[in-house]
Amino acid sequence: MSIKQLIFRNLKKNLKNYYLYVFALIFSVSLYFAFVTLQYDPALDKAESSMKGAAGIRTASILLVAIVSIFLLYANTIFIKRRGKEIGLFQLIGMTKSRIFRILSAENFILYFGSLLIGILIGFSVSKLMIMILFKVTQINAIATLHFSSHAFIQTLIVFAVIYLFIMLMNYIFIKRQSILALFRVLSTAELSVKKTSVWEIIIGSAGIVLILSGYYVSSKLFSGDFTTMKDLFLAMIFILVSVIIGTYLFYKGSVSFIFNIIRKRKNGYLTIHEVLSLSSIMFRMKSNAMLLTIITTVSALAIGLLSLSYISYYSAEQGAKNNVAGDFSFTNETDAARFTKSLTAEGIDFHERKIEVLQAEANIKNILDANFEELQLDPKKMNIPVISEEAVKNINVPPGETVFAGYSDLLQKFMAFKDSGKIEIKSKSQAIPLTYLGLRKEFVISGYFTNGGQPAAIVDQSDYERLQKDVDPEIQKKSSLFIGIDLKKQAQLEKANQLFQNLHFTDRDMAESRLEISNRQKQLMGLVMFIVGFLGLTFLVTSGCILYFKQMGESEEEKPNYTILRKLGFTQWDLLKGIRGKQLFSFGIPLAVGLAHSYFAVQSGWFLFGTEVWAPMIIVMVLYAALYSIFGILSVLYYKKIIREAL
Amino acid sequence: MTILEATKIYKTYGNKFNKQEVLKGLDLSIEKGEFVSIMGASGSGKTTLLNVLSSIDKVSQGSIQIEGKEITRMKEKQLAEFRKTHLGFIFQEYNLLDTLTVKENILLPLTITNMSKKDAEQRFTEAAQDLGIYEIKDKYPNEISGGQKQRTSAARAFIHQPSIIFADEPTGALDSKSASDLLNKLSQLNQKHHATIIMVTHDPVAASFSSRVIFIKDGQIYTQLNKGEEPRQTFFKDVMKTQGVLGGVQYEH
Repeated sequence: MSIKQLIFRNLKKNLKNYYLYVFALIFSVSLYFAFVTLQYDPALDKAESSMKGAAGIRTASILLVAIVSIFLLYANTIFIKRRGKEIGLFQLIGMTKSRIFRILSAENFILYFGSLLIGILIGFSVSKLMIMILFKVTQINAIATLHFSSHAFIQTLIVFAVIYLFIMLMNYIFIKRQSILALFRVLSTAELSVKKTSVWEIIIGSAGIVLILSGYYVSSKLFSGDFTTMKDLFLAMIFILVSVIIGTYLFYKGSVSFIFNIIRKRKNGYLTIHEVLSLSSIMFRMKSNAMLLTIITTVSALAIGLLSLSYISYYSAEQGAKNNVAGDFSFTNETDAARFTKSLTAEGIDFHERKIEVLQAEANIKNILDANFEELQLDPKKMNIPVISEEAVKNINVPPGETVFAGYSDLLQKFMAFKDSGKIEIKSKSQAIPLTYLGLRKEFVISGYFTNGGQPAAIVDQSDYERLQKDVDPEIQKKSSLFIGIDLKKQAQLEKANQLFQNLHFTDRDMAESRLEISNRQKQLMGLVMFIVGFLGLTFLVTSGCILYFKQMGESEEEKPNYTILRKLGFTQWDLLKGIRGKQLFSFGIPLAVGLAHSYFAVQSGWFLFGTEVWAPMIIVMVLYAALYSIFGILSVLYYKKIIREAL
Repeated sequence: MTILEATKIYKTYGNKFNKQEVLKGLDLSIEKGEFVSIMGASGSGKTTLLNVLSSIDKVSQGSIQIEGKEITRMKEKQLAEFRKTHLGFIFQEYNLLDTLTVKENILLPLTITNMSKKDAEQRFTEAAQDLGIYEIKDKYPNEISGGQKQRTSAARAFIHQPSIIFADEPTGALDSKSASDLLNKLSQLNQKHHATIIMVTHDPVAASFSSRVIFIKDGQIYTQLNKGEEPRQTFFKDVMKTQGVLGGVQYEH
């Protein structure tokens, strides 16, 4: 057999074994290529007018390369170790090391650059799809066209060629270092030596769980008022990060085997086949893979967390716009409003106009606040709040001497929690008006311009309002004290009205706002973030899933003798497979569950900074991630099935 | 009472063009409570015979009945079930699961029966004490010696009180002290529980512990020796003599 034939034989065999590696390679190449194509796509300029699209995508493509190269290098170490025996055999029959290296390089070259070309082809054909997705999530109306960028092609080739060189360098070092004997031993030394659970391990195991839980605990307290200075907050965040990551590592190092050991002890030697294959195997394996699993768990937690948060922002865009713009359109001066209403009437769009006069007044609201204000550098005795008359608001009747607050966001509620009732004072220039605070209404009646971006407005009786108005402090008044809200009667005409609004070209200084416009702008921004984080997360998911799968492949081959024994003893393939399913549930389920738990607590601690709705977006992201992830678990069960079938 | 009856069993490997006959119409019958050794040179087909008799491998032709049940026509699931309940195994390379303790390894065959934990515990204690491995019950296989491993394997074979125990070169990897130790235990168990043992070996010392030795050559039974009332030493000499005749390559003058 000539060397050429040898290479092709190996290639054929490897393709069968490592189809998932080839798949992951093709997947990451095509994703990278599509990203780079996007970067050079003229269509993106449309999107760029309102956001820094290309910069974001460039950063994403760098991160993508980082993830992919770590994955490829790691996968390569797994593969070269598995082929140790073969390399030893070549040496034994008298091939020189450099010759073996050349054979391996040639083999890898075909495999690698073959997938690279396929990947680029696929990337080219999906780049249109990706642009369409991007336009869809950012709500840009543009036609995506298929566009081949030679620039992107060359960049992809260069980047992956560099990675290939690195892989070759690794192989070279591996081959150079090994003697014939060592190559034969490689598999037996690489993994697992069974030892008793020691006291040390129990300590490590408990410490891991305690660290994770304390990290979770601090994260739930993060924004509840216990940490009020930036320094405290920062320290608390560092603490959470460190304790959770170290805790995760110790969890895999000790806790899993510690917990499983307790279960085993309970059984007193009477283990069912199911437990033999799952518990006893995993408790030794997790330990040796602790580092890898910690990285996978942490990064997937990061991916899920970021994805959830960006989706929360995206999802909450409309609600956020509602809080900021009280009405479909809002204006702060009569002329702008008149210009807009005129064009509305001209187009035959029915609307309803509200005018509210807003005064700014200094208020003492110390009695009704829960928070500790010293640290927030705000004095609750001297806070500027907007004040409006009850007559300006529909369906409300406030008796003289009393007040109701309207409009608050979840974010504000976290920092300033209002009590149910209490006494406050509103000061005009020369006197203080004592008022009884009756409660808080959630909806905003005036726009963000008057509420300083989310403070509640005090609604008072007309008489109290007039008292204030006569003696108002001109220093703290805003440029405009007139809010004009315009609501359409038919929501279906909103798009058209928004178009009219756009045509009038208001500038930012006019403080004329369209709710739809703000919501769309938010969606555009968060859509891009979501798009990038989503694809990065997907790449990470695929690569980490592949790595776990390769690990399982290795394990299944190492455990093959065990399956032979068990089948000789009279356990059927189905018995074994049932046990394996349990094992895979743990092998893939534990990192997933821990990752989900981490991201859950991360999202819970700070979601209100990003939006107004947490459950739906978070659950959607988590379910999607778990579903895609479990595909790899299922694939590994299928691989085990093959191994078990061949075992006898 | 005959516990195992094999008639005209053939086993061939390979395809139509490259056929290799390993067993050529072999007949065998084993009584309940017997301790039978199967001897033969390398390649004589003794391990194949054991695999076929123990249902791990399928015969090409012929019939094998264990306790009156025809096992050659059973489906894979039935066979597994049959092995689980009726057969016990001891192998040369111990075949213990590295991730289980000695006790867990031994109890493995009982987990599929509906035996109560108390009874299982009792059986385990008895078997482990008989084989002298009770003290090491919580150790892992890589912490104990080869002899202890093989006795663990033997305990696993005995624990569910199978009809027949198949042993494939059980002493092959042991030093002579551990080997005779194990064989003594096996023959004790054979007498105490009337367990039927079929053992493949190429070691005449090991064979001399059994009550009957069957010699196989080129896939057929060459001859048989019965121990009868002889002491072990004389039986050992007989075995040696027969092996000498059997093993010699005949030169044509």
